[in-house]
Amino acid sequence: MKHVVICTILLAALAIPYLPVAVTQFLPFKGASLLGFLILMYAFIMFASAWNLLTYSGQGSLGHAAFLGIGAYTSAIILRYLKPEPLLFNSINLEVILTVMAGGLAASIVGVFIGLTCVRLREWFLGMVTFGFAIIISTITTELRDITGGHDGLPTKHLVAATDFLSRYKMEYYIILAFTVVVIYLIHRILRSKLGLAFEAIRENELEAKVMGINTVKYKLIGFALSAFFSGIAGALMYHHIGYLTPEVFSVENSFKPIIYCIAGGLFTVEGPVLGTVIISALWDGLKSLGLMHEHLVIIGLLLIIIVIFLPKGLVSLLKKVGRKSDAKV
Amino acid sequence: MDLAVLPEIVFWGLYAGCIYILLAVGLNLIFGVMRVVNFAHGELMVLAIYITFFLHNILDLNPYLAFALSIISMFFVGVGIERVCFRPIMGTGKLNEIFMSLALIYLIQNSIFITCNNVDFCNDLNRIRSPLGYEEISFGFMELGADHVVIICVTISLVVMLYLFMKKTSTGKAMMATSQNREVAMLTGINVERMDMLAFGLGSSFAAAASLFWISEIPFTPYSGSINAIKAFAVIILGGLGSISGAIAGGLIYGVAENISAYLFGGGWKHATSFIILIIVLIIRPTGLFGEKEE
Repeated sequence: MKHVVICTILLAALAIPYLPVAVTQFLPFKGASLLGFLILMYAFIMFASAWNLLTYSGQGSLGHAAFLGIGAYTSAIILRYLKPEPLLFNSINLEVILTVMAGGLAASIVGVFIGLTCVRLREWFLGMVTFGFAIIISTITTELRDITGGHDGLPTKHLVAATDFLSRYKMEYYIILAFTVVVIYLIHRILRSKLGLAFEAIRENELEAKVMGINTVKYKLIGFALSAFFSGIAGALMYHHIGYLTPEVFSVENSFKPIIYCIAGGLFTVEGPVLGTVIISALWDGLKSLGLMHEHLVIIGLLLIIIVIFLPKGLVSLLKKVGRKSDAKV
Repeated sequence: MDLAVLPEIVFWGLYAGCIYILLAVGLNLIFGVMRVVNFAHGELMVLAIYITFFLHNILDLNPYLAFALSIISMFFVGVGIERVCFRPIMGTGKLNEIFMSLALIYLIQNSIFITCNNVDFCNDLNRIRSPLGYEEISFGFMELGADHVVIICVTISLVVMLYLFMKKTSTGKAMMATSQNREVAMLTGINVERMDMLAFGLGSSFAAAASLFWISEIPFTPYSGSINAIKAFAVIILGGLGSISGAIAGGLIYGVAENISAYLFGGGWKHATSFIILIIVLIIRPTGLFGEKEE
């Protein structure tokens, strides 16, 4: 049953760029703007899933935008200053894909460093330190004007070397979809492995986990490194698609969005962040494109309050309730 | 660094620290009693600014009278928010509380924005002119604006009043008991849910008091509050969660440090400096300056 659902969703996602105009005209987004919205949504699915992975290991972060930005800046700076030879494959810039991975690695190195300073910290203290790191990294990036362009930012290379706007979007859509599927699959495998069990043990009771012989410091750092790696990839992909990178990437909003998506969807599950991102970001951007410039945030705020009061375990718990009822009928 | 300007930088730092003290004391009160962190605290402050602004513009009240009324009305707003938003989710996890306050941030900011977009006088410069204007009081070694003296006096007297309330009245003692141990407080017959409401109301009033800084000629927008609230939270983390004296010390340290760094390295480093201090302190003392040791 579960496999059927996943396959249907995947097939639907693959078919979206070829939807006939007759269907898309009823959506708030049309043509390239639909693809643009979906590309950013996939990147945020990766980002939210990465945040969820860190939370799964009993830690938390209020400054995850730091990793998003480090991934994006590393990748953009490597391409701009080292100027690697273009490696074209079906008009895809393979060297950009490689630097995206480098961006993820850089983010995970910084993640381990931040994790090291946070090993002794708990809950709110941890949240505030991670938030602080996002502000500090953002300040450093802005102040290194010669390399990063300061507030003006710097242009980033597109993932696909196509002159035509729509065909570039189509290719990038498939690349980022592929990345998203791989990242979610990897996170699913990680949570099912021994590593995931160790994370869960630390989350439930750190002292007991230690008594059981789990090296809690090691696993917490692994959690930080993995989460930062996936966030870095998401950030690099996002900004190679957008084509321009400014310190806005470190904004508080980018730090808080994965939290909103994950909790709305359901924490500690693989499908929670995916569901939360799809529903909330569709509402968020859909209402905005209908011309409700500030009203949409009021509606979102009210909706989030209703969700957390009536579904404290997220939208996933609603699906489970519906599933249980239909099972009972059969 | 020119040493002659040092006293002045330190003084204005302490002055800027007052805003963090007022916000942090309110947050700390809420956290101590309910164990909830209200990230929307800055939005409550902005709401208070706009209440003052509207009372001043529509009823033509003296800004200081309007300010006093907004402190009182924010108490009831706070009680309402606790009752409607936070009580249903108490005990469902810390992340849900963060989520609720993020939702409140979006709701309050944009509701204010939409309301103001439809009101004529909001489209002028968003500011309140103080009746004391440019009057100055001389202290021998430096001249101070009358508004600044009022702000410092109000901050000190509010904190002292809170201290007396907590130590001397029976309601205050009941609140202290709730923050020390909720279950035992409940067993001794304290209505802890009423304490929650009271704490949130008082916390919101303190947020409203912090809005005093905007009454002395600083322009504001519906989005002025967020970063201040998060930094006020950093202040209470620095001082130690639940400790009022920690909040005061933290607020003053932040004010001075930010002013000195802005003087030395330029305004861009202002926010980063305060977080660098926070991280260094937490590496040395994981529970903050005045925080209690974990069991």
